[in-house]
Amino acid sequence: MSPLALVLRKYLVAAFVSLRNKAAYPGNLLGSLLSYAIFVFVFSRIWGTIYSGRAPIAGYDGRMAIWYFIIAEVTAFGFGRFFISLAQDMKSGQVAYLLSRPYDFVLYHYADRMGAAIPEAAVLLALGLSMGATFAGPVPLASIAQAFFLLLSLLLAGSIQFLLQFSLAMTAFWVEENTAFFWIYQKLSLVVGTLVPLEFLPAIAQRLAWFTPFPSIAYAPARIAVAYTPHEALRLAGLQAAWLLASALLCKAVFALGRSRLTVQGG
Amino acid sequence: MGKGGARPWWRTALSCMRFLATSFVVNVQSALEYRTNFLIQVFGMALNNAAFAAFWAVLLSRTGSVGGYVFTDVMFIWAIVPAAFGLAHALAGNIRSIGQIVQRGELDVYLLQPRDVWLNLITSRTVVSAWGDFLYGFLVIALLPGLSPGRFALFCAMTLTGAAILVAAFSAAESLVFFMGDSSSASGAFTEFLLSFSLYPETVFDRGMRWVFYTIVPSGFVAFVPLAAYKALEWRALALLVPASLAYTAASYALFRLGLRRYESGNQVGTRS
Amino acid sequence: MAVISARGLGKTFRTKVKAEGFAASVRGLVRPVWRSIEAVRGIDLEVEEGEVLAFLGPNEAGKSTTIKMLTGILRPSLGSATVLGLDPSRDRVALARSIAAVFGQRSQLWFHLPPSDSFRLLGAVYEIDGRELVRRQGELVERFGIGDYMDVPVRKLSLGERVRCEFAASLLHAPRIIFLDEPTIGMDVVAKREIRGLLEEVNKRDRVTIFLTSHDIGDIEKVCKRAIIIHHGSIIVDESMKSLKHRAMSRKIVGVKYAAPARPDIPGLEPIKRTQDAVRYEVDTGRHRIEEVLRFLVAAGEVLDITVEDEPLENIIAGIFEGEDRGASLAAAGRAAAGTRTEAAPPPARDEGREA
Repeated sequence: MSPLALVLRKYLVAAFVSLRNKAAYPGNLLGSLLSYAIFVFVFSRIWGTIYSGRAPIAGYDGRMAIWYFIIAEVTAFGFGRFFISLAQDMKSGQVAYLLSRPYDFVLYHYADRMGAAIPEAAVLLALGLSMGATFAGPVPLASIAQAFFLLLSLLLAGSIQFLLQFSLAMTAFWVEENTAFFWIYQKLSLVVGTLVPLEFLPAIAQRLAWFTPFPSIAYAPARIAVAYTPHEALRLAGLQAAWLLASALLCKAVFALGRSRLTVQGG
Repeated sequence: MGKGGARPWWRTALSCMRFLATSFVVNVQSALEYRTNFLIQVFGMALNNAAFAAFWAVLLSRTGSVGGYVFTDVMFIWAIVPAAFGLAHALAGNIRSIGQIVQRGELDVYLLQPRDVWLNLITSRTVVSAWGDFLYGFLVIALLPGLSPGRFALFCAMTLTGAAILVAAFSAAESLVFFMGDSSSASGAFTEFLLSFSLYPETVFDRGMRWVFYTIVPSGFVAFVPLAAYKALEWRALALLVPASLAYTAASYALFRLGLRRYESGNQVGTRS
Repeated sequence: MAVISARGLGKTFRTKVKAEGFAASVRGLVRPVWRSIEAVRGIDLEVEEGEVLAFLGPNEAGKSTTIKMLTGILRPSLGSATVLGLDPSRDRVALARSIAAVFGQRSQLWFHLPPSDSFRLLGAVYEIDGRELVRRQGELVERFGIGDYMDVPVRKLSLGERVRCEFAASLLHAPRIIFLDEPTIGMDVVAKREIRGLLEEVNKRDRVTIFLTSHDIGDIEKVCKRAIIIHHGSIIVDESMKSLKHRAMSRKIVGVKYAAPARPDIPGLEPIKRTQDAVRYEVDTGRHRIEEVLRFLVAAGEVLDITVEDEPLENIIAGIFEGEDRGASLAAAGRAAAGTRTEAAPPPARDEGREA
């Protein structure tokens, strides 16, 4: 095996172990599927009520609004809860023990958490697609290119979610109680582009939103699903890639700073 | 010593009230040992609720109303549900931990005390974040236009009946632990249903499914009947809500007692916190 | 007067068998497999007022289950029990007013609050009125010397201090019986001694009946007057501590150290350990007179030191457990002596498929 393959293998193995571990508790997955299903059902009813006999709002008709919600919530349910277990690991002192291992700290955690999250998100997506087909009409995927961009965009969104939440979790190096940071992040991402399409926000809020990573988390994949043009899809994926890079750098930086602090304190 | 049955009922009731009051004070003291945590929790709940208020503001600014609900209507259910939910968990903080407590065999402590197990169990904790919900509910109602002393009194009364119904409903879902061994998924699902259906306009749901809100998932008694009563300042609604809350409580209590006969204790060790 | 009596008391549990892996978990949701375990198999028991009773047995023997049935926590599936004239599962509330239970590390004190707050709450739980509560609390504080910790949060107390507060708290309502389930588990020597002292005191002064289960032989030797041994859910020994100790005293461990290398030889007795200048024998005084053994040992050389010890009680009890497992005659004798049911016991667990 080549040295690179050896290096990559350990992250792949980490991802698979994590997946197997998760699969041992199907009850947890059922819980998250159920919450998602209820949420999608309630919002499909809300949008159904709003759009009965009404013209499109901000460029969205009823069918688009429901499909938008279904896809946006996949990123919230599938990739939205990394923080809790990461912060727990930070606080429990698990970190000091993991630091001594021969791997990239950030990459290892990425592999570990994504290994379990991607299949879960795939199941959520499948559920969402079938619920959407029931409540909103045919699945809006028209071409292989659109499907490719949707999956790519979801993957990028999940990765950005992970890196930002990990950065927030690592503030535990400095402050004891950091859950409040996550809540603010979570609620902002909910309001900015998850519960309603970004275009529904007041003009000024929309303009501000484009300076934040939130459109890359929920809006991008949802928009690609409901209003696909190759040009816009490419632009959104490009924006997500830029935010992925930025959040990866942020994560690395927070880790480096936090780690030096850990060393100064003597572990 | 001797059996309790010989005493006049009012002495038993008085002793019970005294016990509940003492228990509540001790719970609050225990929770206040962690003031920072308390404040963070309160902040988190207020933030969560504010996020949904922002969502409704955005949505309704585009549509005017949803199923006949205008912004103040939605905000009313976002006041009464958190207030009732908060009160339920502030006074009976263990309602959604019954399953866990039973599974770990921690019910022993309560069974060893000369008190009603159910009442003793559910009231022996206060949930810190619930205080945030409770305060948020009152904050929202204070900010809503058209508040009068009469409306405020009605709101308080309906918060009480709502809290009783929520306690009964959560306790019933958790009591399934006696019959299923592990009720966490069933009870978690029930909580999702109850909260999801209580916090959105009733009218978005088909008529065919609304009967659910007045039976298994009592959102109707917690949110929708109070909304109509509040708007019309209709005190007669209590003639429905009070008997309903008593009936739910009695049914839930009976289910717990039935389940308790099957309690199997356990061998875990731990301390009370 | 018997304060506790049980007739054919038994308890069978049914638990779901959990399988590993995804597929098995899903199958378990649809069609769970149940297993029934007979934790206690119809035991008979009498305890007189003021007794200090040790209830012994290896893990899973049914000790805790028995205590839980006697305190009203568990409903028996067989037989009946009477405690202070009450049926524990029917008159739980009335019974709870006159008994106390200390369950190992399960505390009745609020962890984050000082004991004084817990006392106040317990006062309300047990309906002790204000003045009486102050009087009783004052008395217990003085008796247990806990005045200094009454206002310190429990989490900041040492284990020994906490134990004393715990005990005082469980005596607040003047119980007539105290059930203790592994009261000294996880404790250091000092805390253990503390507990044993308190138990003796409470028994002597208040004539409180004490029902104690423990793994710790020290607890039992120091405190108890009577021992009941339960194994696989049945009582196999019920006798006074004295006679249990007699069994111990019929076996002596004799050790000798000589000034110079020596090789004593006692007809019919092999040493359990031998070095050049020292030797150890286990002597069954029923077969060898101790005087005779000593004479042989002294004759073998110049003695520097000689020790004669009873076999530790722990070994005796372990021997009884092991004997029971092998179905040895000692256990059968013990069972007959205890007058318990001796019919062949069914296997402890069986699987049965059953739909949810």
